[in-house]
Amino acid sequence: MNLRGWIDRWKLRTKFVLPISFILVCSILVVSAYLIERQEEGFHLGLETNGETMVRILAMQAESGVLFEDRQELEELLEKFSVFEDIRCAMIYNREGELLSQLGEWDDNSTVRLREINLSNDPEDASSRDFYVEDSAGAVFIEFNYPVMTRVEKLDRENLGITGGIDPSLTRTFVREHLGDIKLVLSLENVNKSIAEARLTAIILTLLVVAVTIVFIAFIVRFVTKPVKMLVDVTDQVARGDLSQRVHLKQHDEIGQLANTFNKMIGSLQQSRNEIEDYNRTLEEKIIQRTLELEDAQAQLIQSEKMSAIGQLAAGVAHELNNPLGGILGYAQFALEKMKKKSPGEFGDKEVNAFIRYLTDIETQARRCKAIVQNLLRFSRSRRETEFDDVNVNATIEDTVTFVEHQLHMSQIELKLETDADLPVIQGNGGQLQQVFTNLIINAMHASAPGTCITIKSRYSPALGEFGGAVELQFIDRGSGIEPENIKKIFEPFFTTKEVGKGTGLGLSVSYGIIKDHGGEIKVDSIIGQGTTFTLILPVQKPADASDTSKEKLGTQPDAQV
Amino acid sequence: MARILVVDDSLVIRNLLVEYLSDQGHQVDTAIDGQEGIEKALDGDYDAILCDLHMPRKNGYQVFTEVIAHRPQSRFIMTDSLPDELARMAQEAGAYGCLTKPFDLDEVTRTLEKILAVTKSI
Ligand SMILES: Nc1ncnc2c1ncn2[C@@H]1O[C@H](COP(=O)(O)OP(=O)(O)OP(=O)(O)O)[C@@H](O)[C@H]1O
Ligand SMILES: [Mg+2]
Repeated sequence: MNLRGWIDRWKLRTKFVLPISFILVCSILVVSAYLIERQEEGFHLGLETNGETMVRILAMQAESGVLFEDRQELEELLEKFSVFEDIRCAMIYNREGELLSQLGEWDDNSTVRLREINLSNDPEDASSRDFYVEDSAGAVFIEFNYPVMTRVEKLDRENLGITGGIDPSLTRTFVREHLGDIKLVLSLENVNKSIAEARLTAIILTLLVVAVTIVFIAFIVRFVTKPVKMLVDVTDQVARGDLSQRVHLKQHDEIGQLANTFNKMIGSLQQSRNEIEDYNRTLEEKIIQRTLELEDAQAQLIQSEKMSAIGQLAAGVAHELNNPLGGILGYAQFALEKMKKKSPGEFGDKEVNAFIRYLTDIETQARRCKAIVQNLLRFSRSRRETEFDDVNVNATIEDTVTFVEHQLHMSQIELKLETDADLPVIQGNGGQLQQVFTNLIINAMHASAPGTCITIKSRYSPALGEFGGAVELQFIDRGSGIEPENIKKIFEPFFTTKEVGKGTGLGLSVSYGIIKDHGGEIKVDSIIGQGTTFTLILPVQKPADASDTSKEKLGTQPDAQV
Repeated sequence: MARILVVDDSLVIRNLLVEYLSDQGHQVDTAIDGQEGIEKALDGDYDAILCDLHMPRKNGYQVFTEVIAHRPQSRFIMTDSLPDELARMAQEAGAYGCLTKPFDLDEVTRTLEKILAVTKSI
């Protein structure tokens, strides 16, 4: 981890307090170290001066004692000096170096000279030199040496006899004479003690000042960073989405301004968020409304497509109905006519058999009419009902075929049913599926040439669909096929290649919607000139996610009559 | 009695007309679609042709025009489920009548009689 990154992670307070305290402590330490140093020097200097003074006084006072070698007197003199605590020892020697008197024990041989002090004494004079010395125990002392001098009046003996009685100032000379030496050793103990005390005091004071300063800085920094922290806290809450938060600061400095700006910013943020939420809410409502409208439109589309399909079918259905009706009417009239010609008893076996044949035909044709009418009703009635029910797909295909049979017959197109008899019942809307099948067959028919064949296949695929598999249907024609560029468009509403009046272009788009409603799929494969196959996949169970729109919303509307 | 050709793709109608017209003493032939109708009409000498208008392989109007083109004296009675464009065109082109299904047998008889009367009078 590099230093910068590490420092960057510090809190603001640390960033302030740490460097400031560091600089502060450093400067205090430097200053006090300097002061202590100066103080030490001062103490030493004081002791040196004291020692010098003392040794001089001693030398002056010892003059007569040394001169007369009065040991008693010297003893008393030294005794007087013993009141100075700093004196380790004092020694008085005569000119020959013989020790006359001594205060305290001292052994010159066991000490080492550290350095010489240059006070006012004459450096030439070996007897007046001062040194710092250290004894074998490591204690440091100051050693002062000073000569004991006397003033001697020197009389000129030659001039004494000749010039007796002349001005004595001309003949008297004074000579300073070296009588002996004094060695004074002062102990640094007291000075060192004072220095140590001073140093301790200085350190304690330094620490105290540092501590107080740090506390003070911390306090100030806290004072500065507290609003920042508050700002950070509120920002955090705002970032989590709570836009009701505000920073409450009374100060008017930069941070106060920042807080104000921040509050304003959140204010407008909150406002625009509210607006967006409002907008979203109305948008949702609008979408629901539009969806309903769209569903309605789709239902109407299905309806109108069915109307058009019915229109297309009308001719076929008319033929379909009128032929059996013609049979019924004809046979009934024929039979009546015959019956009127003879009385009941006169009919022979041959005639009775003919009657039976006529009546059987009438019955058959009437049933056929009934089937056609019911089928038509089934188809038209379920326009808006999207109720799902059990649907037998094969039966629905057969029903559809009765509608279109005549038209196929007219176009000489053969219809082959290759249905799987074991098809499961599916969930669906029979009428709607019939609409899809009708459209697919009519489309195939329109595309097919006379003499060709349309095949409808059905089979069960257990693997398809979610539960229970799916029914797969194929509507195969050998017709014109679909242009590749049109393949994508055929499911669009109003796409048609048929002449006006023949096709509305709604068939496949409506079929697509219906199949999607069933949770199924519709696919197309086509080769130009060879034919087209439409494949339908209809799940046995409608998957839960398939659009279930119309069920509640449209199912409640009253049924319009077709 | 007369020779009559019934051209209709509906089995019921063919059976009915055969039964009824035979009973009346006519000789009846049938054709099941337009193409067969044309072939038979041109082949045999029929006094009247009852022809449906909507049929596979040539509709009734085509049968009418093609047969008339070769045998202008042929007499057609058209039948139709819905009186539509084809029926109008056939009548304008000279068909003797148009019966709308389901038709009464009386109507068939009446129309036939008219035609046969004309045929005889020639
Ligand atoms: N089996 C097919 N073979 C060839 N072309 C087809 C086939 N099925 C559909 N088409 C093409 O797709 C177009 C759209 O079909 P769709 O059923 O949607 O409308 P339409 O049949 O033209 O009119 P409507 O069904 O409303 O009467 C058709 O016009 C036709 O060109
Ligand atoms: Mg269509």
